[in-house]
Amino acid sequence: MRYALRRLGFFVLTLWAALTLNFLLPRLMPGNPALAMMTKFHSAGANPQTLRALETLFGVNNQQGLIAQYFGYLHQMLTGNFGTSLSQFPASVTSVIGSAIWWTLGLVGVTTVLAFILGTGLGIVSAWRRGGKLDSVLPPVFVITSAIPYFWVAMVLVLVFGITLHWFPSQGGYYVTTDSPGLNLTFFQDVVNHAFLPAMALLITTIGTWILTMRNTMITTLAEDYVRMARAKGLPGWRIMLDYAARNAMLPNLVGFAMSLGFVVSGAILVEYVFNYPGVGYMLLQAVDGEDYPLMQALFLLITVAVLVAILAADILTALLDPRTRAAR
Amino acid sequence: MAMPVAGVPTESPAAHVPAGHALARIGRAIRSNRKAATGTILLLIFVLIALFPWVIARDSPTTDAYQPHLGASATHLLGTNAYGQDLFAQVVWGTRNVLIISVVVGLATTGVAVLIGVAAAYLGGVWDGTLSVLTDVLLVIPLFPLLIVIAAYAHGGTTLVLIAAITLTSWSYTARQLRSQALTLRNRDYLEAARVRGERRLYIIVVEVIPTMTSLIVASFLTNALYAVLLSSSLQFIGLGDPNTVSWGTTLYWAENNAALQTGEPLWAIAPGACIALLGAAFALLNYAFDEIGNPALRPVRRSKRVRSA
Amino acid sequence: MRRLTRYGVILTAGLLAAGCSAGSGSSSGSTSGKTSTNNSVLTISNENGALWSCGFNPLNSSYNLLSVGFIYEPLVYVNPLQNGKTVPMLASSWSWGAGNKSLTFTIRSGVKWSDGTPLTAADVAFTFNLMKKYPTLDLTGVWSVLSSVTATGTSTVTMDFSSVAVPYFYYIADQTPIVPQHIWSTIANPATATISKPVGSGPYLMSKCSPSNITYTANPHYWQPGLPKIHTLQYPAFTSNNTANDTLANGQAQWGAQYIPDIAAFYTSKNTNFHYWFPPILNVAMVPNLTNPLLSNVKVREAISYAINRQQVSTIGESGYEPPANQAGIVTPTFTSSLNSSALASWGNGFNVAKAKTLLESAGYHPGSDGIMTNASGQKLQFTVINIGDYSDWVASMQVIQQDLKAVGISITPSNLSNTDYQADLFNGHYQLAYVEQYTFGPGPYYELNNWLNSADAAPVGKQAASDYERYSNPATDKLLDEYSTTTSAAMQQSILNQLQQVMVSQVPFIPVVEGVDWYQYDTTSITGWPTSSNPYAQPPVWAFPDNEQVLLHLAPK
Repeated sequence: MRYALRRLGFFVLTLWAALTLNFLLPRLMPGNPALAMMTKFHSAGANPQTLRALETLFGVNNQQGLIAQYFGYLHQMLTGNFGTSLSQFPASVTSVIGSAIWWTLGLVGVTTVLAFILGTGLGIVSAWRRGGKLDSVLPPVFVITSAIPYFWVAMVLVLVFGITLHWFPSQGGYYVTTDSPGLNLTFFQDVVNHAFLPAMALLITTIGTWILTMRNTMITTLAEDYVRMARAKGLPGWRIMLDYAARNAMLPNLVGFAMSLGFVVSGAILVEYVFNYPGVGYMLLQAVDGEDYPLMQALFLLITVAVLVAILAADILTALLDPRTRAAR
Repeated sequence: MAMPVAGVPTESPAAHVPAGHALARIGRAIRSNRKAATGTILLLIFVLIALFPWVIARDSPTTDAYQPHLGASATHLLGTNAYGQDLFAQVVWGTRNVLIISVVVGLATTGVAVLIGVAAAYLGGVWDGTLSVLTDVLLVIPLFPLLIVIAAYAHGGTTLVLIAAITLTSWSYTARQLRSQALTLRNRDYLEAARVRGERRLYIIVVEVIPTMTSLIVASFLTNALYAVLLSSSLQFIGLGDPNTVSWGTTLYWAENNAALQTGEPLWAIAPGACIALLGAAFALLNYAFDEIGNPALRPVRRSKRVRSA
Repeated sequence: MRRLTRYGVILTAGLLAAGCSAGSGSSSGSTSGKTSTNNSVLTISNENGALWSCGFNPLNSSYNLLSVGFIYEPLVYVNPLQNGKTVPMLASSWSWGAGNKSLTFTIRSGVKWSDGTPLTAADVAFTFNLMKKYPTLDLTGVWSVLSSVTATGTSTVTMDFSSVAVPYFYYIADQTPIVPQHIWSTIANPATATISKPVGSGPYLMSKCSPSNITYTANPHYWQPGLPKIHTLQYPAFTSNNTANDTLANGQAQWGAQYIPDIAAFYTSKNTNFHYWFPPILNVAMVPNLTNPLLSNVKVREAISYAINRQQVSTIGESGYEPPANQAGIVTPTFTSSLNSSALASWGNGFNVAKAKTLLESAGYHPGSDGIMTNASGQKLQFTVINIGDYSDWVASMQVIQQDLKAVGISITPSNLSNTDYQADLFNGHYQLAYVEQYTFGPGPYYELNNWLNSADAAPVGKQAASDYERYSNPATDKLLDEYSTTTSAAMQQSILNQLQQVMVSQVPFIPVVEGVDWYQYDTTSITGWPTSSNPYAQPPVWAFPDNEQVLLHLAPK
């Protein structure tokens, strides 16, 4: 319980840090970049309320002191008022983000789970059969794939499977003119069809980490005394592998999962960019392109919060699963 | 951009090894380990290309001198792009920018991390608490989106801005590793001896402690250089670098802008990307090899050819 | 162990199966243009950079892209590509009063709004007076020259002018969509109203709108019987050029307004029915800030004009899509009939490095030790050029221009800015040189030249100039431009245009480099009636209104 509270405390602290960073960045940059954006809002015909909210967010027309601005900003953020989007004027930022979240969750969520399962499985097997074919091939191969930029893998997939072979579409989330979102089979098929290549790109680049991390921790675990004891007792190999070694090796992997989320996020952004997949990452890059700072800020906070929540969940899960911490409570 | 391969922070098994010895040990290790050898050779090739690009590529990378849309041929090894520039020259000359960024960022990031990590371990107390919290917080905030936001406000930057931004945001993982290793070394006898001798804390830190962490520091440099390559090329690819510099990332940016894949000029996109992958692989291989050197358990099991004696 | 591998294989096979079956299902793609009118579909590919907000207010620039031409129409269609040839729409005829100080329209009878109410002169007068009451609705500024608009009876509208402005016919008759009085008189704030259920007189009705796609269906009560022939329009929202281009390349969309790199390899090679046409419309020019002491010397500007290899800029910077411009400032072949051939002849061969160098020497410049032209007082010809960093073709063009100018000893440094920064600097005169394309197009070269040369559109440095960014001011030129706006005589108009071209080649107020074009792609697989270079009955892109209405009225399924 104390552990959970401590982690929760850390979560709140990091969230506060991200909010403060968000507040300071536009103000620290030379020549407040938001000034030009405000002119665009004026010419688009924003009403005084909208303009005032934006001024608090970005520190233009600082009639208030910095501290007062800061509290005003925090108040706005915590009440969910992220301002109005410039590129989709006059839609509010929250309404614009809503549509994109599902696409990214779907793509990243499914791919991460798949990568975790496949990667951990292959890592376990590779460690168990040290010196075997799998073990000698996998590590160097995946060391190299961990260095390949995500967007390049995506481009190669687009080139080979999308353009040359025409097996899968290489753009977008679904065919906007022929299908409309809804719980029907054609839409679902369309979505899977469009998600295949982006998912493959993410999978290929992230799976290497899982495999290698799992393999390394398994190797260390396998050297432990209790595993040797289990082998001496004559337990069947697969039982030792799964019930003894893997169960304990998987805990650090969970921690690694949380840490690698940052990389999954960057991977998702780049993959979405190359495939024009309508998710949160793609929207972030579009916002940057259109100098739509309210949208960009909100997306950055959204991504940060998502990562924090995932890490918190992983931390608590680890605490629950690890008998050592359970005993310490 | 995957997580560093070392899931478990490695400790240098030898206790007190002077710096010179450590470097010689590293040299020997490189020669004996196949991965390290491959990585080193690759890296050296790129360094040579960066230092003397005119030796291999005789064309200028920037003048629009040739016919556009040419395929690969003897005169243009990678063909020309939509602006009539020689792609091979672009890729070769672009090496410089990438290597400079990766080395400078690698060094700077590692430097900052050493400063913060070791200081936290040694100063202890409130200092340690604050620095650790700062490190952990920055560790958890997603790096790439933060970089995108910074670069967006700076309206895409020059190479210098890129270097500064990446350095200021990516030191935390290394700092954490260094701090935990410094903590384990804190109470070793030879350090106690130095303290009793009356040496100042700074002296102890710089002369006695840091040299023992050499292998970790070198490994960290390699990791940070790898990330610098990937992060900077990604930022340049999405247009947040300086599109007028010659670099692999900016070549990819122009390729994407001109739909190179869809217009039958795949080399424009594939070639620079392959180079990024190769350079990254060089750093990653070296890093992995260092891992194995540090943690003997990870070394590949070599099947003995000798018959088991009775 | 074996269990794991088997699961892996099944999982991969399953994913592939799902992918492939879905893929083959929908790759048959386009359902465009079947033979029966009831089923014909036209899909549009126009990347707007944002999702749709489902507002259709035709008098608000945030929404008019989606409503004018489809749902709302103007009084008269004026074709800018055929020298202002007119097609009566809601007005069946019109005439100028004495001294061109009044304009009378006869409104067509028998026209109904889509809700069945008859359209009368009252609606027309109401629309114009609404624009007077809410100036933000007056997008083209017609009330700067009008004094009153009144309806007489059900079919006559009289407009009185406060100052004679014959060219404003285009803005009044062609660029103003007419809205229904019986609906708009009840709207509290028409300036900000979104109008999500539009009622108009045009050929299409808005039947479904979501942020990612708008569907229009043919208006069964449209006043031209049998039209429109295409029953359904699909207008998806694209946020990236690549996606929009892809839908054209795989035939899902038939009417494109896209910039496509290497269009032969990307688009036309994929299908013999894929075509494109890029009609030139406006000059893209190197604009000197005439308040700059070095650039105020006409010889320096002439030298710049002769030093630029326009053909090379066109081929390399613009992939050959945008033809070279001329110093007379007339866009060809669109307005070739207005060219003053003697002015052009006196300008000679546009690209002439030797002549450029001679001009600079006669202005007192000689090459310095660094190769840059320097004068006796030590002033060097080195300038910064502001450019829009987002336009990769402009950035590429600038690189060519930079190399061209270097060859004659003029050094320029491009400053690639964001759109907002660029506009701020340009409008306020905080630049030395700028790469600019004007924003307004009209049915004749007068419209563009007026924007460039009329001192009323200038402003001192530090204040925003409306369109005369180079701050050119010459009373004789102003007089010519004013004279043009008082006459309807084609002969007089041409004579004034000839004199304006003389001004262009002798005073060099700005330096046209290439001609900006409309991007336009069309697919003839199942639809005919497209505008082409041999039949330019309307400006072709879907965003050009009300030309888009003309295109829609000409299209028919095969």
